Amino acid sequence: MRRTEILIAGAVITAALVWILSAGLGKDPQHIDSPLIGKPAPDFALKQVGTGDTVGLAQFRGKPVVVNFWATWCRPCYEEHPVLVANAEMMKNQVQFVGVVFQDKEEKIQQFLNERGSAYPTLVDVGGKTAIAYGVGGVPETFFLNRDGKVVAKFEGPIDPEALQQNVRKAMAQ
Amino acid sequence: MKIARFIAAFLFATSLLAQEVKVPDAEQFVGRPEGQPVSGAMLDQKTNETAGMLRCPVCQGMSVADSPSEMAVNMKHQVRELIARGYTQDQILRYFERSYGQFVLLKPKFQGVNTLVWILPILALIVGIIAIFSMMGKRAGGQPVDDAPPAEGAEGSDDPYLAEVRKLTGKQS
Amino acid sequence: MTASLGRSLILLSLLVSTTGTVLGYAAGWKRSTDGLRWARRFAFLFSFLMIGATLVMEYALITHDFSVSYVEHVGSRQVPLWVTMVSLWSSLEGSILFWGCILGVYIAAATWLTRNEHVEYMAYSIGTWLFSGAFFSYLIAAPASPFGTVANPPLDGPGPNPLLQNHVLMAVHPPFLYLGYVGMTIPFGFATAALMRGRLGQAFLRPLRASLLLPWVFLTIAIMLGGWWAYEVLGWGGYWAWDPVENASLLPWLTATAALHSALVMERRGSLKGWTVTLVQSSFLLTILGTFMTRSGVFNSVHSFTQSPIGPTILVFLALVLIGSVTLLALRIDSLESDSRFDGPVSREGVFLVNNLLFVLFTFTVLIGTVFPLVVEAVKGRQMSVGRPYFDSMVVPIGTALLFILGVGPALPWGAATREQAKRALLPPLIGAAIVAALGLAFGVRNPWTIVTLAFGGYAAQVTMKEMWLPVIQRIRRGDAVAGAIVDSQLRRGRRRFGSYLVHAGAVIVIVAIGVSSTMRTQQEVRLRRGESATVNGITLTFTGTEEKSEPHRTSTLAHFDISKNGKQITSLAPRMNSYQMMRDPIGTPDVYTTVKGDIYLSILNIEGDSVGVNVILTPMVGWIWWAVLLMGAGGIIALIPNRAARVIVPQTQESPIGANEVAAQ
Repeated sequence: MRRTEILIAGAVITAALVWILSAGLGKDPQHIDSPLIGKPAPDFALKQVGTGDTVGLAQFRGKPVVVNFWATWCRPCYEEHPVLVANAEMMKNQVQFVGVVFQDKEEKIQQFLNERGSAYPTLVDVGGKTAIAYGVGGVPETFFLNRDGKVVAKFEGPIDPEALQQNVRKAMAQ
Repeated sequence: MKIARFIAAFLFATSLLAQEVKVPDAEQFVGRPEGQPVSGAMLDQKTNETAGMLRCPVCQGMSVADSPSEMAVNMKHQVRELIARGYTQDQILRYFERSYGQFVLLKPKFQGVNTLVWILPILALIVGIIAIFSMMGKRAGGQPVDDAPPAEGAEGSDDPYLAEVRKLTGKQS
Repeated sequence: MTASLGRSLILLSLLVSTTGTVLGYAAGWKRSTDGLRWARRFAFLFSFLMIGATLVMEYALITHDFSVSYVEHVGSRQVPLWVTMVSLWSSLEGSILFWGCILGVYIAAATWLTRNEHVEYMAYSIGTWLFSGAFFSYLIAAPASPFGTVANPPLDGPGPNPLLQNHVLMAVHPPFLYLGYVGMTIPFGFATAALMRGRLGQAFLRPLRASLLLPWVFLTIAIMLGGWWAYEVLGWGGYWAWDPVENASLLPWLTATAALHSALVMERRGSLKGWTVTLVQSSFLLTILGTFMTRSGVFNSVHSFTQSPIGPTILVFLALVLIGSVTLLALRIDSLESDSRFDGPVSREGVFLVNNLLFVLFTFTVLIGTVFPLVVEAVKGRQMSVGRPYFDSMVVPIGTALLFILGVGPALPWGAATREQAKRALLPPLIGAAIVAALGLAFGVRNPWTIVTLAFGGYAAQVTMKEMWLPVIQRIRRGDAVAGAIVDSQLRRGRRRFGSYLVHAGAVIVIVAIGVSSTMRTQQEVRLRRGESATVNGITLTFTGTEEKSEPHRTSTLAHFDISKNGKQITSLAPRMNSYQMMRDPIGTPDVYTTVKGDIYLSILNIEGDSVGVNVILTPMVGWIWWAVLLMGAGGIIALIPNRAARVIVPQTQESPIGANEVAAQ
């Protein structure tokens, strides 16, 4: 009686533990799922680096938008910058790209853009409120918005051309 | 063609000039403040309290109140601002949950599967109490405790060394 | 060259431990004395190889031999010698090797100390230890090998993780933690042997208890050192964040503490044997689970090592040991367990049961809270967190209840107490409770939970003190010399009793200090220009300027503050920001001024030009925690020293005379 009870309890505990722990293996514990997907993107209008103009999300309604959160102190951002610039130029007429920089200084951003080129407005998010509203957990992070301003996808880490194309297509389709 | 483009660019530029800086605000997502504006020492205390309930997304398991990272500092500033405007803790947590999901809540909500994390320890406590009573009951049965055979040397069985001391001292006095 | 020497030693130790496992179990099964002798030799050989391999690694580290992959990974010519030496445990591969080394030392010591005793259990015990040894040899040999050969060795390396270099406690905390963790293998081996034998004789309790108590002492101190490190380094003025890795160190401590108590019931009453064995098994399993948590990359924590391929391997080992332990327990529990008899809730045994319930509940709650996010993600595919607010609200009541029974338990006699006895035992300590609670009120404590904690603490303190000094007082009353009575009762023959009550006294102080320090702290962020002052809760700090310091491996910015109270300068503090080559963000090092009443803690938020943002945290009683934990450790050690005189007195049980079977086995 006691024997079977212990065996059953042991089997249940072992199975549960192994299942739970193995499910966690191979996942990135830093990754955060975005609850924003399928929801309207939080609206913002921020100062553009260099010009000082204010650029807002609302003015791009009707076009899919790629919102890229980055900073000059972030290494992987150097990696993805050329990918973003190249694609932004290529898809100039179909897709709007916007860069949002937070936790950074404007001079540094300006210098970065001067050295590495730019093809779309780069905005400064003073105080990081826009990043917080988008649930940014680290830089770089890229959000894909469809024509109606709904969030379609989120990409964490430096984006590669394939992932960029694929997510843009998703944003254009929906 | 060229002219059309020029006009478009001009319109675009004017639309920019017309705009004011606007950041996403809690009011769009969780409505107007439901509490009273707070200031002074109370504000510090409430900010720490609420920030302690939020997980810093760039850190490793630390709360926004405890983390020195810039992200956490920004979040803490925002919490402070919202509390000062009269937002309740519940509203603020809802606002952050909207962008980060339940990941950001250090105190799991009492809903859905989450209830288990609150209920299981209490169930375990109940099971444990029943187990202990059943062990006690084995012996005591219907008898009152006082009827149990007198615990001879009950004190003596406390500790071999103490028992020895007691025996020695008992003889002497 | 060095790398291949290390590799050979590890491959040999894998061979030796595997053979030793088979040999040990076979010798146990056949009851072969020769087999046991050989198993012992293999145990010593394993230890020799593991220690040898670790020395080879230390040699490679100190000589900056970058042709060894681990040295290439963590070594640097820039860092001080002590950092180079402790780099052994700064990264995954080295830390597993270090584990193997400590396991070697433990196995050798345990095999040596039991050389003439407990013959009927030893073959199985050695087999079990070497089984664990074989697993770790395998980890070091294959998936986490530190002895890779680097084809083109670089001239210099990156150095270990800056967090390790940032504070000396990092040289002390990990060894203690490993001594605690790895040490749980030894009682596990004994428990497994008892199960395989199907009996657990009274005499065998001694090595079981001692082998549990020693790692318990190390783990107790390690947990405190971890908290102290967090307090001294992380800059938020706290010492415990319920981080998964912190929880991982706490879990086996909780079950081991429960086991130490249930072992006492087992010793006096002959009951709870199966339960004690289960707790010992759980302690070992939880150390393996903790290793998995720290090293699999599944949990997000300040302390965890980076993602590594050894997660699945550890998981397989965990599952194997779990299945083996449960099966063994199920098969043998009936032959182990005598009839459990308990006389009633108002007795020492009754309180021991409640103690065990609380510790297991504590373990269960912490475990559930730690793994729950994984469960939700696996079931629902949704992320969630379980953090400090949860643990605080669940664990504080359990801790308070533990403090309560810490007072009530030792006051009650064994066996059913009469109403009169109970009254006599339980009423007087209320005085202590009232005194301490009143003291708290006088010092400004207003939080009801804290006052309850203080009252329970006072109650427990009075009971503990009375019990601790009872034999001395009785002997003095009898007319013995005071000094003689103290030395003999507390340090010679009554050592175990005295040590246990020292642990209790330490625990009372720790719980009270945690209660007070967490509810009574003041925190304020201040921004000061040079020469400016601010006052926080009566403490005035004046910012006198910054200073740059440069060392080979880091550069630091110090901010100097004069601290004064009522116009009188007390001290000056210099919290700093350290920048390491390998890190983007500087690591802050707070500066702390500790007094009996409490700590003044300054931590830099940022420095901009000639103004500094500083976090001022005033925490009462926090320093008491570290010292009281050391008191607990000291008590454990005192209780641990074998007492030859006490061996003569053997508590009576229904069991057959001790030794009969042991002799028969030979």
